[in-house]
Amino acid sequence: MLDVAIVGYAQSPSWRNAELTEPQFLFPVISEAIERAGIERRDIGFTCAGSCDYLSGQTFAFVSNLEAVGAWPPISESHVEMDGAWALYEAWVRLQHGDIDLALAFGSGKSSPGRLDEVFSLQLDPYTLTPLGADPVSLAALQARAMLDKGTITERDMAEIAARSRQSAADNPHAQIRSSPDADALLQEPYLTAPLRRHDLPPVSDGACAVVLATADRARATCERPAWIRGIDHRVEPHQPGMRDLTESISTRQAAKHAGVDDAPVDVAELCATFTHQERLLREAMGLDDTVRVNPSGGPLAANPVMAVGLARIAEAARAISEGGAGRAVAHATSGQCLQQNLVCVLEGA
Amino acid sequence: MSAADTAPAEDGPVTMMDYFMQLEYHELLCPVVRRYASQLLEGRLVGHKCPSCGLVYVPPRGYCPICVVETTDADEIVLADKGTVTNYTVVTPVQYYGQEETEPFVRASILLDGEGGMMNLQDIVDVPVDDVHVGMRVEAVWKPPGERNVDEISNRSWGSAEGCIDGWRPTGDPDVPAEQLRDKAF
Repeated sequence: MLDVAIVGYAQSPSWRNAELTEPQFLFPVISEAIERAGIERRDIGFTCAGSCDYLSGQTFAFVSNLEAVGAWPPISESHVEMDGAWALYEAWVRLQHGDIDLALAFGSGKSSPGRLDEVFSLQLDPYTLTPLGADPVSLAALQARAMLDKGTITERDMAEIAARSRQSAADNPHAQIRSSPDADALLQEPYLTAPLRRHDLPPVSDGACAVVLATADRARATCERPAWIRGIDHRVEPHQPGMRDLTESISTRQAAKHAGVDDAPVDVAELCATFTHQERLLREAMGLDDTVRVNPSGGPLAANPVMAVGLARIAEAARAISEGGAGRAVAHATSGQCLQQNLVCVLEGA
Repeated sequence: MSAADTAPAEDGPVTMMDYFMQLEYHELLCPVVRRYASQLLEGRLVGHKCPSCGLVYVPPRGYCPICVVETTDADEIVLADKGTVTNYTVVTPVQYYGQEETEPFVRASILLDGEGGMMNLQDIVDVPVDDVHVGMRVEAVWKPPGERNVDEISNRSWGSAEGCIDGWRPTGDPDVPAEQLRDKAF
C-alpha cells in the first residue's frame, strides 16, 4: 500500500437550520481545506463527495454541490450516496493507483428541511419496515433496550456519556451543543422514546467537512505534521436489523481488526456514536480501554451534520495528531440503522 | 391510478400492495435568493455578475462556480426582462399520479438582453407550441403588482420566476440567428 496522509481539513459550523444552501456552505469549507493543505486547487487529481439526495429532497442535488469545488476546467470526480468518510475511502483507494498525489474528499448535508424519521425509514426494507415507519430513534431505542437488558450499560452510563461529550465540545467552534447538565440532572428528564431521553440523541444539524489527502512525498513537502493513514477498512452487516445481535457490532470489530487498531496503543478515538449507548458498544468492539480519550471534539452528540459527521470524525482525529500532539488516533464512521455499516481509520503522526 | 387498480382482491392471496409515501421539505430561502424574490415582487429581475469572468447568474447563487469566487450584493445587477429563446423542449405530459398538465407545453432557455443571464425552464405563452423556435425574441409577461407572489421560489429554482412572471411572449422582433446562440443553452 502507498502511504497516504491527511494534510488539510476544514469544517463548517453545525447549524440547527442553515439558511445557506449546501453548495454555499461547502464553498468556504473546501477553500479552507485546500488553503490549509498549502496546495493549489488545480493540483487535486481526484475529488469525491458524500451526500444524500433524500435529505435535500432533490434528485441530483449532489451535482450542484460540485459547484463548490470549481466547475471548470472539468475535474476527475466521483460521488457516494454515503457519509463523506466513504468518499475519503474512495479517494484513498484512488491514490493507491500512484498516478496522482492529491485528492479531495468532502461530505455535506442539510438535515433541517425534511423529517429525518420519515427520510431514514426509507433506508429499511420497503415491505415490512418502511411502511411501519421504523425510524432511527425507535430502532436505536430497541438497541439500547437490548444492551440494558443484557447488562452491558446502564441509563446512568448513558447520561454520563452525554454529559461528558457535550462538555468536551465547549472549545469546539464547529459544535452545536457545547454544555450539559450533569448526569444526575439529565436522568430527571422524561423519556423521549424509552429507554432514550433527549440527551441520548444527537442534535439535528446542517453542515459540511472537507479533507485533503496526499501521497508520501507530497504530504511531507506540504505539511509539517501529516496524519498518516495506517489502516482503513469498512464492513457491512445485514440490512434487516432483526438478523443482527444489536448488542454488539461485528462489522466494527472486523473493520478495526483489519485497520490495525490494536497494533499499538491509541491516544484519541473519534467515534461516530450518534446515540449515547453506541459509544460503549463501539469502544468494546474496537477494544479501546479507559486510557483512550474518546470524542474530545464532543462527537456526534454535540454536532451531527448527517453525511459529514463521519468525515468530521476523521478530520478531528487528524487534527488531534497534526495540532494536538496525539501520536495515534482512531476515527470511526457509520451508516445505516443501529451501526449497520462501519468504517475504521487509524491515523499516526509518524 | 384508478380505483380498480387499488381495490383489494376479492378472493385469493394478496399479491400486491400499494404503499403511497410522501416526503415534505421546508427549506429556508438563502439570503441571495431572498433578495432575488423581493426584487421579483417589485417587477425586477436581478442577478449576480461574476467580478472575475463577467458571467451573469440568475437567480444569484452567491458564487461563481467557474472562477470559484464568492459573489455578494455588490455584484448585483438589474437584468433585462426581454431576451431570446436559445433552446426549448416540448413536454407532452404523461398522466402519472400528481400530473396536473394535460396539453403539450414548452420549457425554454432564455438569454436575457444586455448583460445576459440565462432563465431556464421558462414557459412560452401567447403562441402555439409548434411555433416556438430557437432565436425567437420574447419578453416577460409580468403579473400585475398586486397579484405577484414568490411562494414557489426556492433555493432550487434555477431561473424560475413563477408567481411573478406568467411566461414569455413573442415580441415580433426579427429572430436572432441561431449560430449566435451556440453555447447559450442550458
